[in-house]
Amino acid sequence: MAYYVNRNVKMTWWERSYLPEIFRGLYITSRHFFINLFGFIPFFLGRKKDREIFTVYYPEEMVEYPPAYRGRPVLALNENGHPACVACGLCEIACPAYCIHIVPGCNSGKQNEIERWPEKFDIDYAVCIFCGNCEEACPEEAIFMSDDCEISMLDRKKMRYTKEQLLVPVADLKERIEFTRKMYAKWNY
Amino acid sequence: MITELLITLAKILFIIGVTVGFFAPILTWVERKQSAIMQDRIGANRADILGFTALGLFHAIADALKMFTKEDFIPEGANKVLHTLSPIIAVIPAILTFAVVPFGGVYNLFGHEVNLVISDLDVGLLFVFAIASIATYGYVIAGWSSNNNWSLLGSMRTASQMISYEVTMGLTIIGVLMVYGSMRLTDIGAIQEDFFRWGIFLQPLGFLMFLTAAIAENKRIPFDNPEAESEIVAGYFTEYSGLKFGMFFMAEFIEIVTIAAIVTILFFGAWHIPFLTTATLLSWFEILGTTGSNLLVMLIHVGVFFAKVILFIWLQMTIRWTLPRFRYDQIMKLGWKILLPLSLANVLVTGIVILMLQ
Repeated sequence: MAYYVNRNVKMTWWERSYLPEIFRGLYITSRHFFINLFGFIPFFLGRKKDREIFTVYYPEEMVEYPPAYRGRPVLALNENGHPACVACGLCEIACPAYCIHIVPGCNSGKQNEIERWPEKFDIDYAVCIFCGNCEEACPEEAIFMSDDCEISMLDRKKMRYTKEQLLVPVADLKERIEFTRKMYAKWNY
Repeated sequence: MITELLITLAKILFIIGVTVGFFAPILTWVERKQSAIMQDRIGANRADILGFTALGLFHAIADALKMFTKEDFIPEGANKVLHTLSPIIAVIPAILTFAVVPFGGVYNLFGHEVNLVISDLDVGLLFVFAIASIATYGYVIAGWSSNNNWSLLGSMRTASQMISYEVTMGLTIIGVLMVYGSMRLTDIGAIQEDFFRWGIFLQPLGFLMFLTAAIAENKRIPFDNPEAESEIVAGYFTEYSGLKFGMFFMAEFIEIVTIAAIVTILFFGAWHIPFLTTATLLSWFEILGTTGSNLLVMLIHVGVFFAKVILFIWLQMTIRWTLPRFRYDQIMKLGWKILLPLSLANVLVTGIVILMLQ
């Protein structure tokens, strides 16, 4: 359906005389001015939430991201201090950008040793497209998209994070874990 | 003789300090911050000295430093003399206008009659307009000497716009002159001691037209065709950089203060507080002696005057950040077809009313 714009708007005499409309405009802008001006005062008294202005002083103030936000992918470190990852390689295959590189560690056959773990687990953030396919493919709740998006740096080689840099305690990822359980519904809890 | 000279020198220093030293830099901050607050933003606040930002006030210092250190560029084919001269022609009249602007009444200090105006000319109002129209030459020469199409277009627009609106401005002032019967700005200020003789009550239409014409004279939005960024790059100062550009910039901000001061004197009771005559104020502070009470009243009056000036600066800034730019033909239509007949009618009606009241 085409949208028709009427460019020959007939203005009333009141609107055409222009001056009252100027005062209306001035009223709107000065209303914003005074509301925001007095909204600033509680802000400087330390009550940040009372501010009318939504702009954020970025490096000093941070926005709380919702759990659906896809920041850089991280590895979960479970309660025993081991990576939850079993080096199955599903995320490596699911990755459309081929930015995940896994070398599995092999079990020497001892008792009480975990079955499989990643010897190396590298993610190259310079290549990663933050699609979240790795998280969806993971059968072990081991890789999650965090809310961290500040991964810019001057050296491209440093963008390749190793396993030690990627590991994050599972307690820090609770919201995202619950979100993925609802979102992908693959564990059927 | 020497004391007279010293008093005049002190007044000159005060005015220069207030306009060039205080208002011009602070207005760059005001413009940024006010526009931000009006548009629900925060505004410039990153310039800091030792981590102390002072609400972004240091941006004025940063601006000044930037302008000092920039290359002073003169384009190829430009007329070097005129190119250098025009910013000076533009900025000097803006400051010079304050020579006749009174910022207080007459006070008896230490046995001397102190009149708070640098030069009490009996053609004060004419002097203001004579000096203000010299600034037009600065803008026209700036555009012509730059050897740039956009600059020339900008200066042509400046010339036509300023000449058109000067007519209206002059005719608006005639109404004020007829009401007060004097061109001396101190007289006009002194008459308005009576609240009901403020210019806004005697000449309401004159006030609106004067403010419109004055903003058009200052070439600010909604009348900023001479420097329309989206049409002709930057108009007449396209080819200016560094401190020369800074001078154009400063001229604009000082003109805002000038307009606010003239509007305050002509229409808003100059330095007077409504319903409080100078005699009443003096009788309140009688305990302090002649000099003491006069000094206190002088401080109050100067404070009131500059409070009113700041109010009108705020109004001009609000207008600048509210209205969109007029088209060129709309400016001409407004100037010649609406404001000029209205101002003539204003003069006629004022004359009839004065004759009837006699």
